[in-house]
Amino acid sequence: MGTRGFGFGMADANITVDGKKITAPAGSLLIDACKNAGIEIPSFCYYPNLSLQGACRMCVVRVDAPKMPKLQTACTTTISDGMVVTTDSEEVKQSRKAVVEILLGNHPLDCPVCDAGGQCELQDMTFTYGASESRYVEPKNHKQEQQWSPVVFFDSPRCILCYRCVRVCNEAMDVAALGVENRGVSSLIVPNGGDHLDCEECGMCIDICPVGALTSGSYRYKTRPWEMNHVSTICTHCGDGCKTTLGVRSSEAGMEILRGDNRDKSGINDDFLCIKGRYAFDFANREDRLRQPLVRKNGVLTAVTWEEAVTAVGDKFAEVKQSGGVFGVIGSPRSTNEEAYLLQKFARSTLGTNNIDHQRTADFPAFVSALAGKPEMAGSMRDAYMVPAILLLGGDATDEHPLLAYQVRNNVRLHSAKLYVVNSQEIKLKRQAAEFAQIPAGTESGVAAFLAGDDSAVAAIATAITSADAWRALRETLRSAQNLLIAFSSDLQGDGIANIAKFAGSVSGAKVICLADYANSRGVADMGLYPDLLPGYASAAKAGLDLAGMSAAAQQGKLGALLVVGANPVYDLGFAADSLNNTFVVVQDMFLTETAAIADVVLPSASAYETSGTFTNTSGDLQLVKKAGDLHGTKPDFEIIVRIASAMGVDVSTLVPLGAGTTADMGQSRGAQSGEADRSAVYLQKQGLEARVSPFDAAALFDEIQRLVPGYDVSRMNLMAGNDVRTTTAGKAAALPASRGESLRPAHDTLFSSGSLGRYSRVLNSVAENRDSKLVEVAAD
Amino acid sequence: MSVVKDIAAVAKGMGITFGEMFQPTIVENYPDGPGPLKGAKFQERFRGAHVLQRDENGLEKCVACFLCAAACPCNCIYIEADENTEQNRVSGAERYAKVYNIDYNRCIFCGYCVEACPTDAITHGHGFELASFNATNLIYRKEQLLAIKPAQLGEGVTFNKAEMDRQGSTAG
Ligand code: SF4
Ligand code: SF4
Ligand code: SF4
Ligand code: SF4
Ligand code: SF4
Ligand code: FES
Repeated sequence: MGTRGFGFGMADANITVDGKKITAPAGSLLIDACKNAGIEIPSFCYYPNLSLQGACRMCVVRVDAPKMPKLQTACTTTISDGMVVTTDSEEVKQSRKAVVEILLGNHPLDCPVCDAGGQCELQDMTFTYGASESRYVEPKNHKQEQQWSPVVFFDSPRCILCYRCVRVCNEAMDVAALGVENRGVSSLIVPNGGDHLDCEECGMCIDICPVGALTSGSYRYKTRPWEMNHVSTICTHCGDGCKTTLGVRSSEAGMEILRGDNRDKSGINDDFLCIKGRYAFDFANREDRLRQPLVRKNGVLTAVTWEEAVTAVGDKFAEVKQSGGVFGVIGSPRSTNEEAYLLQKFARSTLGTNNIDHQRTADFPAFVSALAGKPEMAGSMRDAYMVPAILLLGGDATDEHPLLAYQVRNNVRLHSAKLYVVNSQEIKLKRQAAEFAQIPAGTESGVAAFLAGDDSAVAAIATAITSADAWRALRETLRSAQNLLIAFSSDLQGDGIANIAKFAGSVSGAKVICLADYANSRGVADMGLYPDLLPGYASAAKAGLDLAGMSAAAQQGKLGALLVVGANPVYDLGFAADSLNNTFVVVQDMFLTETAAIADVVLPSASAYETSGTFTNTSGDLQLVKKAGDLHGTKPDFEIIVRIASAMGVDVSTLVPLGAGTTADMGQSRGAQSGEADRSAVYLQKQGLEARVSPFDAAALFDEIQRLVPGYDVSRMNLMAGNDVRTTTAGKAAALPASRGESLRPAHDTLFSSGSLGRYSRVLNSVAENRDSKLVEVAAD
Repeated sequence: MSVVKDIAAVAKGMGITFGEMFQPTIVENYPDGPGPLKGAKFQERFRGAHVLQRDENGLEKCVACFLCAAACPCNCIYIEADENTEQNRVSGAERYAKVYNIDYNRCIFCGYCVEACPTDAITHGHGFELASFNATNLIYRKEQLLAIKPAQLGEGVTFNKAEMDRQGSTAG
């Protein structure tokens, strides 16, 4: 339901539909009012939150009072008090049947091979209104299918000209890459590049197409909707945390992911996914995924059994520990909360070291301490769509935080929110901005200081476009804004964050979001993947080595063993490959990365799509990560860490609390589909046995996280039902050293890159290549 | 008297026996009968082992729409779809069945799959000697189910460029 449906401040109207009395805000659309009352009116061109088209005539109804001469389109009729409507008379049905018949006039009989088959709105309408006999005998007008981009294909005969694709691209995405050519029956949807698309490749048009005219490069002709398993989980790329439903089929390797979408509009992202969420799950399907553990023998990485590899690691770790050697542990901001928590617990309690770190992309410790005692000031991803005013400070959200950009853009479009953009570049969101303030590159912290009241900071941030006076005016505007949401990029850290929080504290109802780059950047920070901070940002008794410290220790040959889980320190964390010659390196990864190639033991780990657990997105929304399937030969990082601990002779129940039971788990954490009973748990409970019998069950550790990590005491029931729940910053360490000297390594991803993982996605590569070649062509002209 | 009566009864009985002895046989002499069917006879509508049909050009009719698999009450049809390419054209439409298995351990010969097929690709043939000592033999692969290529297209006809290249290289 869009703004039109909200009807803020409008009086209620009482109308009668098919003899049933319903009440809805006056002025809302008849089609929405009926839908909310459980009366379905078929539609093709109408789509909630897009502009009205009135093109298909499928939604016609008879309006008896006030008397209208002709059938009316419910998608454009607004309701008024006393209206009487008939939606299911013979006349209406006949009219709809005629619409379907005309649509089918030149529609190919492609259903058996068409990607939409089984979930096609035209098929459904044909079944309902039954125009299955064609009275047209003329040959159909066939056209060749076109490929518009590596991911978008168009089969024009199947198009029913509802213009949803054009509108979603234009309005919701603000890309305007699709248009209409010609008129009447010869109308044709055309891409902006003539024969190809130059766009953000989000696939929203494909998703929204009611028929199979727009098809996806990664899914087309592979299978049918009902042949797949559908698993709803969280995208593993950026920090925004879109919910996605994966279409999965079994394959010789174990499983193959074919499709990602969020058609059911569950989750924080409505039906939005960017190119990464919609297509870049394909790294999980790659043939060069590691499927067997490797151990270096005579200088060569040799495939061995899990038993042998894990024993080798366990023995060596025990030996290093015995001889008082130095350990280093590097985690990944794409690990689940459970994996990150387990990793630091393993490092601290089993290996006995605080030398643990990860690729940090935002200064969460500063953020949390700045918000200490004011948990209500932490903004959520949903806020970005609902609040009346937004301040975006630094970064290019369209590239780095596609969901945030989408929500902000549509908040402006649908709710007339006011957007203030402060940036050194003219970013795309400037188009939606009520005000755009340009700053010299790298002066974001000056803006924070100025907003917090330091008038002397204005000199450094004033530019030709935004003068000192303009800055002062902008600060006044922002101060008087209601429920302002401030989202800032990693350009702000330490004092900058404190200043922004101070400013937010002076604005009524203001909230703040700290933007980080990866799917669980916030989560692993909360879980304490820091050398000096424990879970919940409590200070460690004695700080260990951070990434730079570990790298230096390795240089000096003082690092005894390095455990790398899902990271690639040689590639992007500043480790020289040859510095690790004297270190026993263990890598848990999906691929033979640069670091894995020089490791002593490589353990093939499962991707986030093959793991159960939870992710916390950059704004602190906690969501369930569900396992879509197993890839033979791999194991989740969680299980691998437990196995290593066990091989070191540790009682694993000290790491993973077995048998503690849970408050509510419907089995999703063990891979059961939603709605399906978790039979083994039911059985175990009935027999008086605990459901938590496996040390590899991440949910068992989540119990501990809920108990011990402040802010994670969320509604378990809500989480397990697949909803996003809010973690809070309540109770988290207030007294952090004001400036910890956080060293951030932001990824500065674009829509077509994703840290060190993007390289493994064929779709991202091919789209990027496609664009590069276009750029070269243009440059050559 | 009773002796006469008995003899008459026996004679009546034997009369029927001898009378029937010279009638034509109606029992089918399977498996000792003549011909490839070894004496078995079928009604047209008999539902035996499936045949995956080809079109008049010899291309496979199956377009891997999965409707048969969806209709099957025993879940015994397994399909993997793939896209036809210039190089490798198998069916007449965009998609073909790369893998098509029927598990005859489970098939109940209900014919729903045949009903469901929009391209008349899957049909019931008259094959009925399916018994096996090994259950795994009862999973029939596409190669076992496919109709032979139409005779009028001649020996060794192929539609598949890869296959053609292969044959060319062995011939040359
Ligand atoms: S768009 Fe719908 S009706 Fe048309 S061929 Fe595809 S499935 Fe059939
Ligand atoms: S391509 Fe699809 S969404 Fe676009 S106008 Fe045609 S039917 Fe509608
Ligand atoms: S916006 Fe982020 S979380 Fe959402 S689909 Fe894109 S990469 Fe994934
Ligand atoms: S046999 Fe027929 S019903 Fe089955 S997949 Fe092939 S075309 Fe579809
Ligand atoms: S005959 Fe019936 S049981 Fe056998 S494959 Fe077809 S649908 Fe399945
Ligand atoms: S839905 Fe109303 S005209 Fe298309």
